[in-house]
Amino acid sequence: MRPNRLRWLPAEITTERCAVVIALAILLVGCTPGASEREPITLVFKHAKILGPADPVPDLLREFEKRHVGVRVKAESLSWNSDDQHQFFVINLEGRGAAFDVMMLDVVWVAEFARAGWLLDLRPWVPPAELTPHFPSTVEPATWNGGVWALPWLMNVGVLYYRTDLLARNALAPPRTWEELVAQIVRIRAAEADPRLDGVVWQGRQYEGLTVNALEAMWANGARVLADDGRPLPDPERTADALAFLRRLITSGASPSWVTAADEELSRRHFGDGRAIFLRNWPYAMDLFRQPGSLVRGKVAIAPLPGRAGVADGVGSSGGAHLGVDRRTRHPELAAALVRFLAGAAAQKTMSERGALNPTRMALYHDPDVVRAHPDFPVVYELMLRARPRPVTPYYLMLSTTLQPEFSAALVGVKSPHDAVAHARRQLAYLLEGLQ
Amino acid sequence: MTRRQLDARAGVALLAPALAALAALAAWPGVWVLWLSLQKRIPIFGIDRFVGVAHYAFLGGDARFWNAVRVTLVFTVVSVALELVLGVAVALGLQRQHRGRRLTMALLLLPWALPSVVVGRTFEWLYHPSAGLVNFILGARAINWLGEPALTLPALIVADVWRTMPFVALLCYARVLTIPAAVYEAARVDGAGRLATLRDVTLPLLRRVLLIALLFRTLDALRAFDLMFVLTGGGPANTTETLTVYAYRSLFQTLQLGLGAAIGVVVFALVMLVAWAYLRAVGRTEVTA
Repeated sequence: MRPNRLRWLPAEITTERCAVVIALAILLVGCTPGASEREPITLVFKHAKILGPADPVPDLLREFEKRHVGVRVKAESLSWNSDDQHQFFVINLEGRGAAFDVMMLDVVWVAEFARAGWLLDLRPWVPPAELTPHFPSTVEPATWNGGVWALPWLMNVGVLYYRTDLLARNALAPPRTWEELVAQIVRIRAAEADPRLDGVVWQGRQYEGLTVNALEAMWANGARVLADDGRPLPDPERTADALAFLRRLITSGASPSWVTAADEELSRRHFGDGRAIFLRNWPYAMDLFRQPGSLVRGKVAIAPLPGRAGVADGVGSSGGAHLGVDRRTRHPELAAALVRFLAGAAAQKTMSERGALNPTRMALYHDPDVVRAHPDFPVVYELMLRARPRPVTPYYLMLSTTLQPEFSAALVGVKSPHDAVAHARRQLAYLLEGLQ
Repeated sequence: MTRRQLDARAGVALLAPALAALAALAAWPGVWVLWLSLQKRIPIFGIDRFVGVAHYAFLGGDARFWNAVRVTLVFTVVSVALELVLGVAVALGLQRQHRGRRLTMALLLLPWALPSVVVGRTFEWLYHPSAGLVNFILGARAINWLGEPALTLPALIVADVWRTMPFVALLCYARVLTIPAAVYEAARVDGAGRLATLRDVTLPLLRRVLLIALLFRTLDALRAFDLMFVLTGGGPANTTETLTVYAYRSLFQTLQLGLGAAIGVVVFALVMLVAWAYLRAVGRTEVTA
């Protein structure tokens, strides 16, 4: 190739030579470092809207730019709605021209996007040891099928909130089992004689939150969603019994009937208004309960989710967000650097100190500066350590959206728990056929 | 070339841009969706193969699909019927009202002008089990509007009627204004009572505008998506999952593009069928009127 070009395009060579001479001259004079002579590189970071009082992300990006001269990071925020974000990413990643390099992913999408070939395998830049400081339940989705598809960024876990004042007045300790929890509700409501006081509120609306709540009930009852060989709902009896228990919470009055329409915020507000003894939710609610003017300020504590008596301990489902790189990025090196920077210890510390965000790095839960901002972190740490991820599989959304209507039908009493489980198994068998 | 030929040629030239725009914006995507519905395409799993009418065969035996058809039809029939009845009633009330008509019109337009997601959120608060206005007015009983299977679809229909009844009312009101007073005088002279006037004078004159309102509202209601999506996500137990919600879930959540396209084609066929029936009905009234 080269000789041809020499013969055909002598003029180009002259310009090249000139350029080399000029560049050398500049270097010799020592004017500017090489990077800034090129066009500035722009990385685009697509992320969900960061909720909370302060958004620490812009400052972190400026910090990254300072360390990488000639690189600009443009942060573009998506709607807070997870369905919308998923739709946006799918359309853009499946279509040809993705206009972003780094993306914030819901933890349940990581395996899906990796399977689709949309994520860059970060193994060339991320040594295995870099993952060990993160909670195990965040590492499992990130390393699906042996790759490193994303780095853990934000962490969540299902927890039980309880009213310390009500439990203390009745000389009760936080319940270890659901059976105990129901008994405590009966006792406290009898003692308080407040008809407006509900027992336990949780999320039963037909959406992802229902899947999470039902999974936690299943785990507490020793049931799995996927068997090791990938079969869906391998323990139908235990699964049906878990759903029957949730239904009984409603029919017995331990939970108000509207939990079948409740999402995180609906249930959080009710508990925050002092109208419930127990609440299942994520750790973010604590920051709101602690605000000045909160009706339950100083009367709330966090405990592990209960288990079922004689069966299994309670386990919270993990949630959160990971950072991944679009496989077609033109700057894989820099995009990987940005992901490592944002998921790094310093950046996560800033995020949790300044925002209402939970880091994925375990050490931060005992960092004095962070604990000052979030006094419950040492308790939350224990729960996160034991948290279990939702099934790490590329067809998670198919699984979850198929289960939701069936679980919902069992909760509102349209179907018996046995029928709901049988129908869910039949549909999943059909859908997953030929995919695995 | 004769004058006639020249005219014809100019006519084609003038029509061409409109036809091209229709072909590009309506026909081509339509054909493409039809083609997509004959494929099994799940990009994540690298599945992309022609399956013919397999998706339609699957939908034929799919309980969830038939449930969505039922929900869509119930929602459409009940909400459109209520909207027409209430819309006519409001239009006639407006005709008789003498003071504050402008204010009434402005208030009437408000729900119609609000973005549907805002309407959804507003009703989410109205239906709030413990803090909602509806339950407060009903005496603080915590009725589970959006979580009780028997109540949820009616609750959504009420929200839809609130939002779109004004459209029907304003259309009818515009027609009512053009009915000459002499017609009513004649009716009175003939000894027609209020009911007879409504039945034999006003309603027949409103007939054409009502058919148009019916057409618009039915086509909209058959594609109902936003209220369900914001308020219930199709729940509880899929009792509010319409065909479009099902299509959305297949297309964008589980990424079964072929299946989602097939549901889209069914919605399209349903809409075309209804549009065709109405246009025929409108044609007949034009002949008889």
